[in-house]
Amino acid sequence: MRNILGANDDIAAQNRKVFAEHGVIVMNLMGSPGSGKTTLLEQTLARFADKIKIVVIEGDLFTAKDAERIEKSGVDVIQINTAGGCHLDAPMIQKVCASLDLDALDLIIVENVGNLVCPAEFDLGENFKAVVLSITEGDDKPLKYPLIFKESEAVLLNKVDLLPFTNFNLESARNDLTTLHPTIKIFETSCTTGAGLETWCAWLLKKLEAR
Amino acid sequence: MHEATLAENILDIALDAAEKNHATKILKIGLTLGEMTGVEVEALTLSFDVLKKDTPADCAELVVKRVPISAACNKCGKTFRLERYNFFCPECDGILILRSGRELLVEFVDCE
Ligand SMILES: Nc1nc2c(ncn2[C@@H]2O[C@H](COP(=O)(O)OP(=O)(O)O)[C@@H](O)[C@H]2O)c(=O)[nH]1
Ligand SMILES: [Mg+2]
Ligand SMILES: [Zn+2]
Repeated sequence: MRNILGANDDIAAQNRKVFAEHGVIVMNLMGSPGSGKTTLLEQTLARFADKIKIVVIEGDLFTAKDAERIEKSGVDVIQINTAGGCHLDAPMIQKVCASLDLDALDLIIVENVGNLVCPAEFDLGENFKAVVLSITEGDDKPLKYPLIFKESEAVLLNKVDLLPFTNFNLESARNDLTTLHPTIKIFETSCTTGAGLETWCAWLLKKLEAR
Repeated sequence: MHEATLAENILDIALDAAEKNHATKILKIGLTLGEMTGVEVEALTLSFDVLKKDTPADCAELVVKRVPISAACNKCGKTFRLERYNFFCPECDGILILRSGRELLVEFVDCE
C-alpha cells in the first residue's frame, strides 16, 4: 500500500523540518482567483514590514503580476510559475527556499495558485494554512469545497464592504464553517475599508510569537 | 485539475511495483480514495488512460474503492459516519476528529 502523494509529503516533511530548525514560520495562503489574497498581503505587509522580516512566495500560473505588486511594498518576493499547474507542491517550495537565508527570516508567506480544490491537497511543509473567501463568491462555498476549509486554521471572509450589495449570509457562512471545522478562526475583513485587518494581523503576530 | 498529478504518481508507483516484481504487464491498480479528498474519479481515469499508453500499464484498469468520512469524538470517544460535514458530536458537547476519508492510496498492483 502506498500513498499517492507520498513523494510530495516526504519533501513537505523535509521542508517542515528545515523551517523549524531555522525558526521560520510559513503560512500557505489559499483561495479563489480574485478573492483578495494579494491585496490582503499588501495590506498585511504594510502593517508588518518594519516589525518582522518577511519573504513572500508568489504562486501563479504564468505571470509575475502579483509578485510585482508585492515588490512595491518593499518586501522580498520570489515568483513560482506553475505553467498551468493548478497548485504549488512541496518540491517547488524546497527549490526556492534553498536560495533563502532562512535564519534571517521570521515569516514566509506563500500565496498559492487561485483555486479552492487542488492546493488543499498538497502539503508544502507550512506551519499552517489560511484561506480567503470573498463575499462575492457566495456563502455556499464552505460546504461545496469542504477540504480547503477543513485544512485551514483560519478563514478570512474578505470584501465585507460588499455585503450590502450581495445575498451573502454571514451567519450561515459562519455556521457552516464552524460545523465543518469547530476550531477554525474566522476573520471578517475588508481590504478597502481596512475593517478586521488589525485583528487579523494581531492573530498572525501571535502565531509568530508562539514559535 | 490535480487529477493529472495524481495519475502520474499512480503510474509511477505501479511501474515501480511491476519492476520490483519483474513483471512486464500491469493488469489492475487498486486505489483507495477517501470521500473527503477532492478527487474526481472520472478525471483521474481520463488522465491515467492518456499517460499509460506505451508503458507496461497500457491495458491496466483502475479499480477504485471509496472510503466514507468517519470521525471520533474527543470527549465520549464514539465514532460516527459523517454525511454532512458536521464535526460536532451528536451525543455530547465534544468535537469530532477525522479518522477516515482523507485516503489517497494505491492499495494493490496486479501484474504478470
Ligand atoms: N471591494 C473590495 N474589493 C477588494 C477587497 N479585497 C480585494 N479586492 C479587489 O478584488 C480584486 C482581486 O484582488 P486580488 O488581491 O488580486 O485577488 P487574488 O487573485 O486573490 O490575489 C482586486 O480588484 C482588488 O482590489 C475588499 O476587501 N473589498
Ligand atoms: Mg493574487
Ligand atoms: Zn461525544
